[in-house]
Amino acid sequence: MFLLFPLSQFWRTLLISIIGLLTLAGIMTRPYRWSEARIAMAGAGTLLLLGLIRPADAAFTLLRDWNTFFFFLGMMGLSALAQTAGLFDWLAVQAARFAKRSAARLFLNVFLLGTLITMIFCNDATALILTPVVYVFVTKLRLPVLPYLFACTFIADTASFLLPISNPINIIIMSRFPLDLLTFLRLLLLPSLVVIAINLGIFYLLYRKQLRGSFDISRLPTPEKAVKHRTYFRYTLGVLALVAPAYVFASALQFPLSVVAVAGGLLLLAGGLFWKRTTLLEAGKGISWPIFGFIGGMFVVVRAIEDTGLTRKLGNLLLHLSGGTSFGAVMVGALGSALGTNLINNVPMAVVMNSSLGTVRDAAPAIRNGFVAATMFGCDLGPNLTTVGSLATILWLLILRQRDVDVSGLDYFKVGVVVTPLMLLAGAFTIWLCL
Amino acid sequence: MRILCSLDGTNTKQVSDAAQMFCTAEPLTIALLTVIDVGPRRDIDRTRERFWRPPMHHEPVTDEMEAAERAAAQDILNAGLGYLPLAETLLRRGRPELEIVNAAAEWRADVILIRPRAEYGEPPHLGPRSVGHVARFVLDHAPCPVLLLRPLAGDQFPISR
Repeated sequence: MFLLFPLSQFWRTLLISIIGLLTLAGIMTRPYRWSEARIAMAGAGTLLLLGLIRPADAAFTLLRDWNTFFFFLGMMGLSALAQTAGLFDWLAVQAARFAKRSAARLFLNVFLLGTLITMIFCNDATALILTPVVYVFVTKLRLPVLPYLFACTFIADTASFLLPISNPINIIIMSRFPLDLLTFLRLLLLPSLVVIAINLGIFYLLYRKQLRGSFDISRLPTPEKAVKHRTYFRYTLGVLALVAPAYVFASALQFPLSVVAVAGGLLLLAGGLFWKRTTLLEAGKGISWPIFGFIGGMFVVVRAIEDTGLTRKLGNLLLHLSGGTSFGAVMVGALGSALGTNLINNVPMAVVMNSSLGTVRDAAPAIRNGFVAATMFGCDLGPNLTTVGSLATILWLLILRQRDVDVSGLDYFKVGVVVTPLMLLAGAFTIWLCL
Repeated sequence: MRILCSLDGTNTKQVSDAAQMFCTAEPLTIALLTVIDVGPRRDIDRTRERFWRPPMHHEPVTDEMEAAERAAAQDILNAGLGYLPLAETLLRRGRPELEIVNAAAEWRADVILIRPRAEYGEPPHLGPRSVGHVARFVLDHAPCPVLLLRPLAGDQFPISR
């Protein structure tokens, strides 16, 4: 808007590239502990103020992706309200009871519970809500905490591509490259099962010594005590029993999944207000509002970069690297996305890949589907490499360690570098077999 | 009690003093220390940061976490008091390795007794990596002698060359 004098295409491209790179670098390094949302919105705002993207184009970009925004809203609302009903505590108690006093069986049950919650509520719920619940239970049971925390954190990403709703990244990518449910399952169900099995197997191997013990189940509350309000709990179960198949039907019919998520969230909110289990303010606290600024800002920045043709060049490069084969498409898509998620976080990476993959629209179906499935797979699973955040965080932790400051986050990294490359390669290979 | 003192020509006085502490220390004051490890909580906060959430503060689950941590720590101290009923108890929160050496300095401990690593029922392990990171840090940073309580593992000897 302010930059009213005409600029040659070269200067426009240069300015947009600089602003885009600064935005991504800011997200990677987070100077002055600024939030990613603030950095992304600053990048988008600068582009708008300099007239490097038209307000109408920015608005169109945001409106076009309404499904993504509402899915995030509905998904976070559903998880938070299900937690208010005590669902996650109840499920964790049940997992412990089914373990029959065995620490190793409880570990398996935590994995399975994490898989189930990720599949239905998405990875956010497992990483943020199930993890503290499991921490409390494992502490009460006097078991070593770390293996169970690792299980929750890792399975949140490892089980992220069982269904389209299992990770918002899937929604972002499928908004541009729709896959019907059967194609999604054909391409990603078997790889999901393969990587979950690898994750579980390696974790059992790593933590076999710590999982030898048994526990006293009487230290845990009964399932009835885990439920704070019985009627609201039953109502929540009823709503979820409707939401889960609705997700499947919506995926099958390619109906916007956000409508199902938001409707489910509103039903739970109505019940919570009716039985006085929550208030609008409390329910609002369960939503991470900055994420909307972050995603919106990234959409606008990447749209401006897309207009310069740079993302198309990246797409052409990816296509070239793939050698025009489906195997190459899967490997380049999976490994490139996984690396990118660890550099700039998975949401920006998914948005960049979405824009870049426009070049594969006209490619052969095996190559196109290979790229799309592998991109989802890489963006979903990639964060397990540096679970604590990005490579920038890891570098910072390593610097702290050199200064003799103990940093537990490095423990995650050590496990991630053992497990994740193996899962990436095995999963990508399985996707290729499923094409 | 038979105490084996390993001397290298430079440490005779220190080793002798340490050995005498067990024989002549009167009155003997014992403190039992346990530390609530804040590492896992920090890991949870880092995971929250990745999902664009602020660290956990004043949420219902935070209170539950603290209550569970305190109950577990108190259990450990009570188990210790079962063996040493006259001992003082110290409960601290932080990174275990730091808290142990800081507590030793503040409490003016003459000796720290510590196991090489937590064990969960596995047979005693000798050799490389048999000393965990907490014990390793304490050995490196303790303000007083440290007695590393290795498991009795005579059946694993002699070590073949």
